[in-house]
Amino acid sequence: MKSGRIFYTILFFFVFTSLLIVVGVVTSLTVTSYPIFSRDGLSFIFKSTWNPVKEDYSILPALLGTLITSAIAISISTPLAISLAVFSIEIVPSKFRAFINNISDLMASLPSVIYGLWGLYVLAPILHQYVMMPLHHYLGFIPLFSTKPIPTNLFTAGVLLAIMIIPFASSVIREAYNAVPYYLKEAAYSLGMTKWEAIKTMLGYIKSAIFAGIFLALGRAMGETMAVAMVVGNTFTFPKSLFDMGYTISSLIANQFPNAEAYNYMIPALYGGAFILFIVGLAINLAGLYWIKKVMIKS
Amino acid sequence: MLGVISSLAIISAIPIFAIIINIYSEGARHLTLNFLIDLPPPPVSGKSGGIGPALVGSLILTLLAVAIGGSIGFFTGLYLSEFSHTRLAHYTQIFLQIMVEFPTIIIGLFAYMVLVAPLKRFNALAGAFALSIVIIPYIALNVREAYRSIPYTLKEAAFSLGVSAPIAYLRILLSTARRGVLTALLIGMAKAAGETAPLLLTILGTTFTYFGGLDQPINAIPLLIYNFALSPYERWHQVAWGAAAVLLTITLMIFIISRLVVREVKV
Amino acid sequence: MNWAIEVNNLNVWYGDKHVIKNVSFKVPKNIIFAVMGPSGCGKSTLLRAMNRLLELNPYARVEGQVKINGIDVYSDNVDITWVRRQFGMVFQIPNPFPHLSIYENVALGPKLNGLVKDRSELDELVKQALQQAYLWDEVKNDLKKPASMLSGGQQQRLCIARALALKPKIILMDEPTANLDPVASSKIEELMLELKEEYTIIIVTHNPQQAARISDYVAFLYMGELIEIGETSMVFTRPRNALTEKYVVGRMG
Repeated sequence: MKSGRIFYTILFFFVFTSLLIVVGVVTSLTVTSYPIFSRDGLSFIFKSTWNPVKEDYSILPALLGTLITSAIAISISTPLAISLAVFSIEIVPSKFRAFINNISDLMASLPSVIYGLWGLYVLAPILHQYVMMPLHHYLGFIPLFSTKPIPTNLFTAGVLLAIMIIPFASSVIREAYNAVPYYLKEAAYSLGMTKWEAIKTMLGYIKSAIFAGIFLALGRAMGETMAVAMVVGNTFTFPKSLFDMGYTISSLIANQFPNAEAYNYMIPALYGGAFILFIVGLAINLAGLYWIKKVMIKS
Repeated sequence: MLGVISSLAIISAIPIFAIIINIYSEGARHLTLNFLIDLPPPPVSGKSGGIGPALVGSLILTLLAVAIGGSIGFFTGLYLSEFSHTRLAHYTQIFLQIMVEFPTIIIGLFAYMVLVAPLKRFNALAGAFALSIVIIPYIALNVREAYRSIPYTLKEAAFSLGVSAPIAYLRILLSTARRGVLTALLIGMAKAAGETAPLLLTILGTTFTYFGGLDQPINAIPLLIYNFALSPYERWHQVAWGAAAVLLTITLMIFIISRLVVREVKV
Repeated sequence: MNWAIEVNNLNVWYGDKHVIKNVSFKVPKNIIFAVMGPSGCGKSTLLRAMNRLLELNPYARVEGQVKINGIDVYSDNVDITWVRRQFGMVFQIPNPFPHLSIYENVALGPKLNGLVKDRSELDELVKQALQQAYLWDEVKNDLKKPASMLSGGQQQRLCIARALALKPKIILMDEPTANLDPVASSKIEELMLELKEEYTIIIVTHNPQQAARISDYVAFLYMGELIEIGETSMVFTRPRNALTEKYVVGRMG
């Protein structure tokens, strides 16, 4: 009886600690960023200056950088992630399936700084020479490609993020696809569908899971710090084209924090940026979790 | 159309192979004992050098993180599994699922406020604290799965032996769920060893000292890779590639071990 | 008379569902007492209410008394682990700990409860329990092998040995043969007849023939109510209740 009591108390203590940490993280963001919001209000979000000397900060260019890089990442990675999931289940011979899934899981567990190093010294030069320069040369009249690119910029960051988030989206889709009831598969083929038509039907059936996967991957992309900080160019400008150097919120924090203590309002400003990132990320992740729940209820 | 899917799938797997090949082709020649223990070379000289301080730092930080985050995560996961009917478990579970997706740099900001700002100094403890928080949700959610997968009848068998709850959960049933729990800890360890963003805000990253105490700055391999890769010195870029080869090797080893553990479970 | 167990006005709820309704009975020592009834009648719940294993289920609520040697297991100053040690329990699905060896499965209970002083005493206890469970001769050379290599019937006898090693006074058996083939089942039944010399056995079964074969006293439980209780021969030859009659002649699931 006694040891039981003590045990439950210990369990409760640890659970409480976990909860406390979550609450603490959110509180520290709110409290520390309060000075910048109370001084500047919403103009902290909607201006585009970052001038430490004048203690004038705003987050919009970095927020846009986050949105642009994530958008690039999602548009590239979604078809790839769906393909990878379908490939591992429907196309590859079953004895290689575990191998493919292991590869996908390994991609998910590589440290982001390794992606960053590779992105900086391998991916960026290749993209620069074979993708960005040609795009700029032939399609430079389109505003998206108007800047004369250097290797590290928003586009490179977006592509690197795409590579990094494929396994997250793919594994959510893979699990849902595997959970499709067998009779539905049978029904599809019994109607005389070709394999591709059957796959399309299946993908339609797990639509919510695909959304969930995309949203969870989007959340990852928006929060990713190191890899982006290494290839995004780290320049505070209002982005006008995909080939501009820029910042994302998280890379702004990573890059600026080491000198932040020298200023009065830079730390609140960086925490303010993190707070906005947190809110946007939370919304996106809740949407992802909501869709996952929908899948679970269905199956 | 199936051809298109196959090609896209193969394209999406190319980077991982490219990364492994590039990192080992650039970094493998650094994988010597001296590289693992020596101080980094001066930035402009042909002298040899290594990543000793960062390796020591990574070991200390990872072990501390697994010890702190592992115990909090383990007991939280046990609670989530065995008391899943309680409201506390329900909300904790949702919180942890959100916490998994927290950008880790935000956790670094939290650790900075709690342990760096008050001490007025970047320090190893703050780094370990931040890494612990990063891995808590991974460990908790995986431990929960491990305990949930124990058949109910084995739980009944354990308690029917007339033992107290801690003995039932921590001796009898823990050994039943040990592979799942071990996998959880390995996942946490891999995360802690490779995580970088929170360290940037907590440990600063010393270059030429090994370990000066938990209240002093310290270095870690991922942080060294970041700092050296972005430095203007070619000699340090080389060290970054070598360090990446070390980190990749550690990651691959943990990954393979965890796969072997899981495979044995299925038998 | 000195009863092995007395159950007084026992009620169990799962949430709002009343699953054991005001059940009272007494069980004499050294007999086999069978609780029979169609599936879902509350038999297993009744069993788990006796050794308080029911408390693993957070939604279960118990009222009433269960007395062993005059001590109510539900009174406040009684330690739940002490209660569970008074009973050995055998389950419907043979459930040895699959990752432990045959030896360890039996040794676990005595070891964790500090019933033995040293290794040789433990060895002796394990041997004794396995002999009592009719398993010793089949496994004495394989004690270090994992329990999962045994057949279903052997696993169930291992579970009986595991229960016996706790030196309980009462053995609770929850449909111990439901998942075994006829040969393995009859072995378990023989074993039970042997064990009642030393222990009191309470067995739950959905099979009236089994109750008739092995029990001395039998209770018929239907929808959580105790319909009839008495000497087995009486209940089966001259049931007082029409429901019981329907059940024992096999006209009720």
